[in-house]
Amino acid sequence: MTKNPKLIPVAIVLGIVLIVVAIVYFVDSASALPSFFPGHQAGSSHHHTKHGIAALIVGLLCFVFAWFQTGPSRPADA
Amino acid sequence: MHHDPISYVQALILGLVQGVAEPFPISSLGHGVILPRLLGWNIHQNDKFFLTFLVATHLATAIVLFFFFLRDWMRILAGLGRSLRDREIGRNDVDARLGWLLVVGTIPAGLIGVLLEDSLRKLFASAASAAAFLIVNGVLLLLFERWRKRAPRPGDALGDHDRHIAETVSWRQAIGVGAAQAAALVPGISRSGITMGGGLLVGLSNEDAARYGFLLATPIIGAAAVLKLPDLMGSAGNGVRGPALVGALAAGLTTYFAVKFLLKYFETNRLTPFGIYCIAAGTICTLIFAL
Repeated sequence: MTKNPKLIPVAIVLGIVLIVVAIVYFVDSASALPSFFPGHQAGSSHHHTKHGIAALIVGLLCFVFAWFQTGPSRPADA
Repeated sequence: MHHDPISYVQALILGLVQGVAEPFPISSLGHGVILPRLLGWNIHQNDKFFLTFLVATHLATAIVLFFFFLRDWMRILAGLGRSLRDREIGRNDVDARLGWLLVVGTIPAGLIGVLLEDSLRKLFASAASAAAFLIVNGVLLLLFERWRKRAPRPGDALGDHDRHIAETVSWRQAIGVGAAQAAALVPGISRSGITMGGGLLVGLSNEDAARYGFLLATPIIGAAAVLKLPDLMGSAGNGVRGPALVGALAAGLTTYFAVKFLLKYFETNRLTPFGIYCIAAGTICTLIFAL
């Protein structure tokens, strides 16, 4: 995997944003979600838990990606 | 007189078929939609009780797949842990690389599934559309064999299969094959067919592609079933739990033998017979439904 330290802050910010999105999905019903969120539905009391889990997992993977980027770099394969 | 929404005999038959059709590249969901219609059963894909029943059979399939490859999963999980500790995937760490290939392949399929599953299920709910997509699936299987990156070689069944997979599949290809799995949300299109075909396109042998497909299928089938488990335990599961248990046991049993058979079969054989079966079965069912 190619290492690019410039991507570390991007991955961390994206990870934080996605975890916030996950919390919004867990806490708010479909009607209370911002209209630009997938799953927003006026008048619905349904909680999109699966959307929240998906956002949480991708957010955590952003942190994992950032973690790998901090690792030791090695010479490119011959 | 009280009637269960699914009888024990129906559950047994659906479970046996699900267990075979999930690992075989012939679409378990497609067969689950077509079979009740062919047999004149009052079971439809979007019936709440049927969806709940499917949770149990899919969970059984995922559990059997997991335990079938338990030793591999233990190595893969250890590899993932090692790479996290070292903050890199070691140059020769096959288990770590294979593990992350499975992770990046699972994420796009999971995301697409979460976002599109309900709408696709409603859009393609009929047995007629499942039969039509079964034909499409058959054509795809034949095309995968035609467009495969390399022809089968005599020594394909030998050597370290995980090393072959880890060294052949790139990150982008893993994401592509993983995302393509989402096509299996349409009844008639086979998840294992798509992943095996994707494996052939990127240069794997039939056996390695099948192995990669089974490993890739386990977390996504398991996660989808676990997420819906509350439906089976809640009020939606009333009247279905007994037949669901029978269906799950039947599915688990046939999944085990189907995977065992396929890994042996693909040592020397190809996807072609499954493609022909899907085209023939899809065509016959389409004609029956049209008459």
